[in-house]
Amino acid sequence: MNNNTNRHVILALFNNIADENAFRPLLEGFPKLLSLSPPPDKNHFTGIMASAHMNPSLVILSSRFYHESRPELVAELRKQYPGADILLITLATDSLPPLQQVAKDRIRHLLVTPSDDEPEGISSQRTAINKLLVRSPWELRDYVRPGCLVHEYPLNSSRQKEALIAAVEDVIGGDSIDMELLRQRASLLADEMVENALYGAPQDHDGKKLYHKGEERSIAVDENIVFRFAFDGETLAMEIADGWGTLSPEMVVDFLSRNQEGMPMEEGEAGGRGLFIIWRFLDHLHVNIRPGQKTILGGHLKAASTLDFESPSGFSISTNYTSQ
Amino acid sequence: MSSSFGVTARCADSTDYIELSGNIDASAEQQLQMLPGMVRCQVVRIDFSRARRINSMGIALLLRCFKHIREKNKAEIVLRELNPTNTILFKMTGIFLLASHEK
Repeated sequence: MNNNTNRHVILALFNNIADENAFRPLLEGFPKLLSLSPPPDKNHFTGIMASAHMNPSLVILSSRFYHESRPELVAELRKQYPGADILLITLATDSLPPLQQVAKDRIRHLLVTPSDDEPEGISSQRTAINKLLVRSPWELRDYVRPGCLVHEYPLNSSRQKEALIAAVEDVIGGDSIDMELLRQRASLLADEMVENALYGAPQDHDGKKLYHKGEERSIAVDENIVFRFAFDGETLAMEIADGWGTLSPEMVVDFLSRNQEGMPMEEGEAGGRGLFIIWRFLDHLHVNIRPGQKTILGGHLKAASTLDFESPSGFSISTNYTSQ
Repeated sequence: MSSSFGVTARCADSTDYIELSGNIDASAEQQLQMLPGMVRCQVVRIDFSRARRINSMGIALLLRCFKHIREKNKAEIVLRELNPTNTILFKMTGIFLLASHEK
């Protein structure tokens, strides 16, 4: 294939045909998709893949194939396809892949697929794959119905936090248990997102935090801290932008991994617990970082999503993705 | 219901009954630091029915407080009236390693 035809090519690797079939609703219809179930063995992988002369933009790896059966595979893929993003996919009914290994392998994207072929859930995940293919960042509007009002709150003081959380709660109407749970989760998420931008993001050149949690502070205009949210009656999407750009992809995955592997009994709040909570309470966490300039952290959750400690959430951490 | 954090405590039948109310976040630090000093009995029952949002800083403070009660006061901690969100939050952050949950 020449460079032109290599645009938006996906290479997908599965454990076996049954594994591939489980993800068929998610992946069918992508025009330049090559699926291997299973891929060539360790001794022949490099030679066979090189002879295929493909240069995928995205390599999709099934979690059932990751990591124990082929521990060397991610390193091989990186060597073979240095320009490709790697996306790990897992079924909601499967257990979460080992995050310590995910961090070690520098995998930045994990997609959790509903196992019930629910068309709307699949559709938002296909949108996420398309965004990865074109290196475009997650946008809040993509995950709510067209025309849904996006509320925007530029912040100039830490005092605005409670009013902002109340505004999120107000937009989620209804007395059902689902809506009450959504309000509880939404207020916690808004709290953590704002705290992250107010106290986590501002750092000096040595990475030392400039403000203590809970400290009342004013926000300079050039910090560009803006909170946005939208709710279409079923899906709530929220994001916070800051003008610091101090978060790194390594830090994000490391924070998630450390907290997932059993909470350390640390007494401070230096271990990324807030970010971990944001991830676990969202259906999918998105982080887009422009180092030293901007971080956008957000995600979406559905009112109908189960509040289950065991069920995994996905994440996508990108650097320097730009809107198309 | 007020969002300001508050603690009320009473002792009866060899049990400390403690009620936490409002949001549990950085603003709760001073009161949660003082809480272990209120413990007199070997069983501490903590009621969360009037507690509202608990953020990551609140979790850090609760972990510190419960650890103190367990290790220094040598008391057992029982949590009650947790809403579903806080129950999941406590599961995922290790609070239940220090305290049991009365359902």
